[in-house]
Amino acid sequence: MASPGGPRPGNLPPSFIPNSLANNMQNLQINQPNQPQSNNPTGGVSRPPNTTPFGQQPPPFAGSRPGPPPHSAFARGPVPPSPSGPPQTTLSPNVAPVRPAGPPPGSQPPTPFVSRPLPPGSLPSSMGGATVSLASGSSPQLGPGPHHGPFVSSPPMSGPAAPPPVRTSGPLSNGPPGITPAQFQAGPRFPPVMGSTPRPPPIAAPQPATMLSSGSSSQRPQLRPNFGGPPASASLATTHPGPSSAPPQNMLPPPAPSPFSAPIQSVPRPSGSPYGMQTWMSQQQQVAPPPPVSGLQPPRMFGMPRTLPNQSLAPTSPALFHTGAAGTAQSKVDPSHIPRPIPSSVVILHETRQGNQANPPPPATSDYIVKDTGNCSPRFMRCTINQIPCTVDLLSTSAMQLALLVQPLALPHPSEEPIQVVDFGESGPVRCSRCKGYINPFMKFIDQGRSFICNLCGFTDETPRDYHCNLGPDGRRRDADERPELCRGTVEFVASKEYMVRDPMPAVYFFLIDVSTNAIQTGATAAACSAINQVIADLPEGPRTAVGIATFDSNIHFYNLKRALQQPLMLIVPDIQDVYTPLESDVIVQLSECRQHLELLLESIPTMFQNNRIGDSAFGAAIKAAYLAMKSTGGKLLVFQSVLPSIGIGSLSAREAEGRSNISAGEKEANKLLQPADKTLKTMAIEFAEYQVCVDLFITTQTYVDIASISVIPRTTGGRVYYYYPFTALSDPAKLYNDLRWNVTRPQGFEAVMRVRCSQGIQVQDYSGNFCKRIPTDVDLPAIDCDKTIMVTLKHDDKLQDGSECAFQCALLYTTVYGQRRIRVSTLSLPCTTMLSNLFRSADLDTQFACILKQVTGEVPSTPLPQVAEQAKNLCINILHSYRKFCATATASGQLILPEALKLLPLYTLALLKSCGLRGDGRIDDRSSWINYVSHLSTPLAIPLVYPRMIAIHNLDEKELDSSLIPETVPLSSEHITDEGIYLLENGEDCLICVGNSVNPDILHQLFGISSVEEISSQFVLQQYDNPLSKKLNGIINEIRRQRCSYLRLKLCRKGDPSGTTFLSYMVEDKTPSGLSYVEFLIHIHQHIQRKMP
Amino acid sequence: MAASRLPEADLEGIEGVRMTWNNWPRTKVEASKCVIPIAASIQPIRPHVDLQVLPYPPLRCKTCSAVLSPFCRVDFTALVWMCPFCYQRNHFPQHYSSISQTNLPAELYPNFPSIEYTIPNYPQNPQNFNPSTTVCPIYLFVFDTCLLEEELDFAKSALKRAIGMLPDNAMVGFVSYGTQVQVHELGFSEMSKVYVFRGSKELSKDQVLEQLGLGAAGRRAGPGIQKGGDGLNPLGGAPNSGINRFLLPASECEYTLNSLLDELGTDQWPVAPGNRALRCTGVALSIAAGLLGASTVGTGARIIAFVGGPCTEGPGSIVSKDLSDPVRSHKDLDKDAAPFFKKAVHFYEELGKQLVSQGHVLDVFASALDQVGIAEMKVAIERTGGLAVLAESFGHSVFKESFKRIFEDGEQSLGLSFNGTLEINCSKDIKIQGIIGPCTSLEKKGPAVANTVIGQGNTTAWKMCGLDRNTCMTIFFDISSNEKSDPSGTNPQLYIQFITSYQTPDGQTRLRATTVTRRWVDSAVGTEDLVNGFDQEAAAVVIARFASYKMEMEEGFDTTRWLDRNLIRLCSKFGDYRKDDPSSFTLNPCFSLFPQFMFNLRRSQFVQVFNNSPDETAYFRILLNREIISNAAVMIQPSLISYSFNSLPAPALLDVSSIGADRILLLDSYFSVVIFHGMTIAQWRNMGYQNQPEHQAFAHLLQAPHDDAELIIRDRFPVPRLVVCDQHGSQARFLLAKLNPSATYSNAHEMAAGSDVIFTDDVSLQVFIDHLQRLAVQAS
Repeated sequence: MASPGGPRPGNLPPSFIPNSLANNMQNLQINQPNQPQSNNPTGGVSRPPNTTPFGQQPPPFAGSRPGPPPHSAFARGPVPPSPSGPPQTTLSPNVAPVRPAGPPPGSQPPTPFVSRPLPPGSLPSSMGGATVSLASGSSPQLGPGPHHGPFVSSPPMSGPAAPPPVRTSGPLSNGPPGITPAQFQAGPRFPPVMGSTPRPPPIAAPQPATMLSSGSSSQRPQLRPNFGGPPASASLATTHPGPSSAPPQNMLPPPAPSPFSAPIQSVPRPSGSPYGMQTWMSQQQQVAPPPPVSGLQPPRMFGMPRTLPNQSLAPTSPALFHTGAAGTAQSKVDPSHIPRPIPSSVVILHETRQGNQANPPPPATSDYIVKDTGNCSPRFMRCTINQIPCTVDLLSTSAMQLALLVQPLALPHPSEEPIQVVDFGESGPVRCSRCKGYINPFMKFIDQGRSFICNLCGFTDETPRDYHCNLGPDGRRRDADERPELCRGTVEFVASKEYMVRDPMPAVYFFLIDVSTNAIQTGATAAACSAINQVIADLPEGPRTAVGIATFDSNIHFYNLKRALQQPLMLIVPDIQDVYTPLESDVIVQLSECRQHLELLLESIPTMFQNNRIGDSAFGAAIKAAYLAMKSTGGKLLVFQSVLPSIGIGSLSAREAEGRSNISAGEKEANKLLQPADKTLKTMAIEFAEYQVCVDLFITTQTYVDIASISVIPRTTGGRVYYYYPFTALSDPAKLYNDLRWNVTRPQGFEAVMRVRCSQGIQVQDYSGNFCKRIPTDVDLPAIDCDKTIMVTLKHDDKLQDGSECAFQCALLYTTVYGQRRIRVSTLSLPCTTMLSNLFRSADLDTQFACILKQVTGEVPSTPLPQVAEQAKNLCINILHSYRKFCATATASGQLILPEALKLLPLYTLALLKSCGLRGDGRIDDRSSWINYVSHLSTPLAIPLVYPRMIAIHNLDEKELDSSLIPETVPLSSEHITDEGIYLLENGEDCLICVGNSVNPDILHQLFGISSVEEISSQFVLQQYDNPLSKKLNGIINEIRRQRCSYLRLKLCRKGDPSGTTFLSYMVEDKTPSGLSYVEFLIHIHQHIQRKMP
Repeated sequence: MAASRLPEADLEGIEGVRMTWNNWPRTKVEASKCVIPIAASIQPIRPHVDLQVLPYPPLRCKTCSAVLSPFCRVDFTALVWMCPFCYQRNHFPQHYSSISQTNLPAELYPNFPSIEYTIPNYPQNPQNFNPSTTVCPIYLFVFDTCLLEEELDFAKSALKRAIGMLPDNAMVGFVSYGTQVQVHELGFSEMSKVYVFRGSKELSKDQVLEQLGLGAAGRRAGPGIQKGGDGLNPLGGAPNSGINRFLLPASECEYTLNSLLDELGTDQWPVAPGNRALRCTGVALSIAAGLLGASTVGTGARIIAFVGGPCTEGPGSIVSKDLSDPVRSHKDLDKDAAPFFKKAVHFYEELGKQLVSQGHVLDVFASALDQVGIAEMKVAIERTGGLAVLAESFGHSVFKESFKRIFEDGEQSLGLSFNGTLEINCSKDIKIQGIIGPCTSLEKKGPAVANTVIGQGNTTAWKMCGLDRNTCMTIFFDISSNEKSDPSGTNPQLYIQFITSYQTPDGQTRLRATTVTRRWVDSAVGTEDLVNGFDQEAAAVVIARFASYKMEMEEGFDTTRWLDRNLIRLCSKFGDYRKDDPSSFTLNPCFSLFPQFMFNLRRSQFVQVFNNSPDETAYFRILLNREIISNAAVMIQPSLISYSFNSLPAPALLDVSSIGADRILLLDSYFSVVIFHGMTIAQWRNMGYQNQPEHQAFAHLLQAPHDDAELIIRDRFPVPRLVVCDQHGSQARFLLAKLNPSATYSNAHEMAAGSDVIFTDDVSLQVFIDHLQRLAVQAS
């Protein structure tokens, strides 16, 4: 594993402007009436994109490929997806073949706009560089130019220069799938570019719009139909304005980093821009962009101005955004211009508060450095909406969730300041005497500092005598800046005696290893032993670290590791119905006393059991026994399990088989197989939690192990399930080792209790995550680590005052691995609002989606799948509908209008619907494991889980990677995959490398040391060969590992193989037998919204 | 001393049988008038120089399966023999065809009433005839670790020495226990491996086997997997699966065991202050028994348990763990104030049954200052024919030497044998009430079963899982009361045949047939024959056993009164006296010693239990019931030998008057051997005269009792405690307690100088006899 540290700023290519996209709002306009027509054409169109384009295009692409690459090449120095050489030429060829009408350029432009009929708006939108154009285009007769100007300029981002190429790329790419990736990246990075191309300078901002517009222009096949059927069903339009304001904020904060990035960006861009220009030209042919663009830009203009204000959170009127959209009624949806995530590689510098106002955080998925200026870092706690609705009604009108995602020990960015530790001595931290809230920067000191008003409950407390300090002229305590607890959103208090029920527990690690036949023969045991053996060195040093080890099959084997013995002594507990610990002491021994024995033992376990013929596994009994051994201290129980627990307490049946025969019932009722088989393990888990035993499961298996049942243990005890299926001794041991190592070395705490307090008017409704809850207000965590996230749903119990702030405080009392008792307190204070538009503008997409993901996933085991899917879809629709209804009233009804901040919600929702957990066809264990993974998933990982990152790696050496290690991403659509390509797709856990069937053997040889596609086996170990390509690939993978804090499970896939099918199942934008394509889905949503509109 | 014992040994002769009455009254009524029950004490595998071992199986009667004996009438011409018990005529098989009056097989020699046959193999496991596995006895050590460090070391070294002495092919297993039970898998080469069982939970045999992986083969392994395993590992599978994981030939596991013992520490489970250690003896034994249950049927095995304290955990507990609760006393038992007792006894009863059904033995070596629960375990020990040794410490010679004796080879070997069964055939009209002794009824019904039961009854066959040379049992007979039965009249002889089959320590299967004959007498005619046939020593022992048995079985049994009444009745019946004239009372020499035996029995630990703990009592009784008559008699009435300058060592009266300042006394009370130096002797010795060459005689005098004591100790099991003391020393109580208190503080003034007095209110023998005479002559 890479070092856990967050992404380093240095690594990231400054060129990316992360937030720009997110900031803009997009409108997708779809004319229903048109649709039918469009459909006809679409027959070719909407679906074609997947099928036809694919099938047909390839040939053209051969020629055309080049087309896309150029874009990429231009746009991004680094990652052009397809190898094609000369951009322009390629493009043109592409264009030509694809769209019979070479001339189409002219025609195309309109198409994108779909709304040809709608003269300016639509056109402009498309023009705008697609993305921007739509939204802005519609309304904005406003002078785009100026706006852009400011926009671009204002964000120090080297908007102008870069933008052009990007945009160009966008449109260009549209046509050929291969290109799309470029577009995406381009979009994000050079949003400005987009604008620039058409109107170089201004456009920077429009990016968002580009998305939309691009769509129109991009897909040639579609375009045709569109053209053919002028009535094209839907037009997509993004409105920047409203959203833009929000984005700007994001944008703005970055300024700091951006400056750095800017220069760099600018550099490439300039060069790019010219190219871009050219490309544009080519594109223009297709789109006939320029004119329309102008039209589009106007909207942006609006956006632009706001952007500035945005920083100050000035509300933006949604109407603006809509305007653009309204115009384009009939245009078809262009898949390449619809909103897609655009990873930013720019490191954003984020101050949590500015000008005494909460500063909306950058997207969770972006790379940022936080400066704690009063609010806690968004890493620790982020809210689904960065402004709090004053009333329930307002919230329910918005249809959005109000929830916090809390990750109390989240890994900081290495460049961030460490959290300050405050020691109040014997008396402990100052707290409100009524609500017990901890002192924080928002507690208001009054009466010369003699008392303070609690920002959580409003009670006036007397300042403790020795904590008294006079107030300055500004009403703040004079020492406020010297005291971290008064100026920082997150501090750690040293816990005094009153926070301890007992002495802080030692760091106890107990390893439990399956040695049943299966585990032995598959090499799982050996892998586990070797992993543990290596990890021992990483355990915290010192007398407080104790370890124990046990193995189990149908018996449980403990080992006495006491130093006095000549060799370890194996102690077998055979009574697996009623277990016990075989020794009072000596089963768990101080690490320093048993290191040698332990190593010896771990080396000998695999051989010792090599002839073990016991196939049964007494998993339940084993963990119970281990728990009993740990009971006096608590600690971490790390279990390596390989087969279905078949015997002893908590044994399970292979009910999967029953489930299969019973499949017909599946549609109507919840799948029982996703629920625990019985309550035995739950009861045990609660007991474990009570004694501070946290269980992590490493499941290395080839078969069904009923994760649904056994995962109850880690979920209740603050652990997690690691799932290696099918386990292979070739490639998995490395991951196992790295997972284990990260598990024990990452920042973590023991015997923790967490509570979130809210200002009056709001209260916590529920917590969800991996923990045990005994009383409603607190969450018990036998262990908590930097990866674990807890979702806290909130509810109103009163009105909030407009203009006031609402605070949330998360207090985590825990013991460090070194035995100190600490209270980590994170406080987040957000403004309250009565404006719906503010809510939409300040919505935090990543957080919202993470919440939706968690909520929907939580429903899966207990609700019939179709119902769950419906629910997920409705969550999305309701929000969009609300926005459409209340914030975009001015727009024509035919438009799909997306709030800028949430423009990706449909995509993510679609991805969610197609995710492993919500597909009915997956293996039960895969689904259970997925469900489990989600339950503790952190916000930054939520999106990659359903919408993985895909990059092309066959052409790595053709691209000069700029400072960013990771090339630009490719949209998850099979259109963008070529047979000559090799693609890497990763979702934070797994990493699939798909090799096309006609890949250049040279590349194969360089990357994998094989000479033909036939030699590919799904089991492989990535090796670094002595060639630049291989080095780059290794570099990329290592970078991803570092970013994800996860050693990915690498798998080679090949089209035509089952492995290829797996890979394709991640192409969430594709149409599948059971799911809609992205475009279809947008239309689908739009229809729903329309139906809801009066 | 040794010389004096030889004739006694002869009493048993080659038969190894002694009866209370050697001439039997003809009827039940007559028998009951005899007061002393008709009983035989048999030493089933008594070694004897003349004993013949025949290399072929015995001929058995086809109806009653009695074995051919010298008492069978044989028709040499017809080659037919008639069974003396059922009168069945049996043909000799072909290979006996050459027999004739002059060519008799050994079993027909009249001077071989006992004869032994070697049986090729035990019939129960013919299919896998594998001498090496079926034959070697198993020694499963069950080792208490709730001990003080020092005690543990003693125990460990004793065990190590024992293992060194085991025959190479003896199978050895090891179980240690404290709060939990640890079954050590000796056959695991990789590292020390133990199965740990909780001490608080009782497990059935099946559960134990299951959990040790010895259940029905492969029950736990999936079929497919097992197949694979077999294929991969045709040889390796075996040692990993069977009981041989736990039981290994001594030669193979000696090293493992020694290193294991080196590492074995005292129990790690914490003992709260004011509490006893949690010790799960019961579960340990039951798991050991379960483990042995996996051994091949018919394999002899013994569980040799080291117990260092009371069981406080799980089934078989005898006391709570709270130290402020004392272990039950006889008083508690009498008042039913021992809450654990009955449950524990029941537990051990069940354990005993299990062991018996497996044919295995439980030996207990208890070493503790307090009680460990022998009283509760007695039933299991006795039913299985196990050994019990009670000592104060594992460092004490009583334990150390006794333990060594078990494994010793050669002449002094105990000849520990296994899997014995005893069958009895007897003449018509004789019924068997039961056996008191180390055996279990096999519930084999037959015509010879009496209606009333004493001890292990209701059967004509008994199981003796463990037996040795000295094992002795008391069989109680009854006479069927049919006076008119004529056929018996025709034959004045009665026959009883004891058939004992057993496995020798080296694995041979033997069958010994002992056929005895006695005479019927018509006591209505006169008592002379009866009187002459009375064996007073045997009678005393039988009465002692019977009394002990009744004390255990009958609540509120007044032993002293019962003994007195019986003695009085006996004297009334067989004494010569004039009514109501005590002075006229005389007893036939055949009875003359009996009253004194009774006097000592009344004072002995068997009757006066309140001087001892229930454990000690149980221990004494176990030995009383299993020792040969002469040894048992010593338990009841110790022997005393006096050494002085003036005379040869000579038996002395068991009386305080035997104490003399210039004498050395050697008391053998079986459980202890006391060398008592008179005051003067002690002074001389303290002054070191024995070291001066001119006083060599004194040195010899000092040495003589030690040599004799050594002789006694050497062939006794358990080894008695040797007490060397001086007159007026504190240890002298061991002697004084056994002496007749003819001189007490009340009549001290009459005593000669240099003698001693006993501070007691007990009556002296003289007073006892006086009363007896008076009561015996009273008209009843």
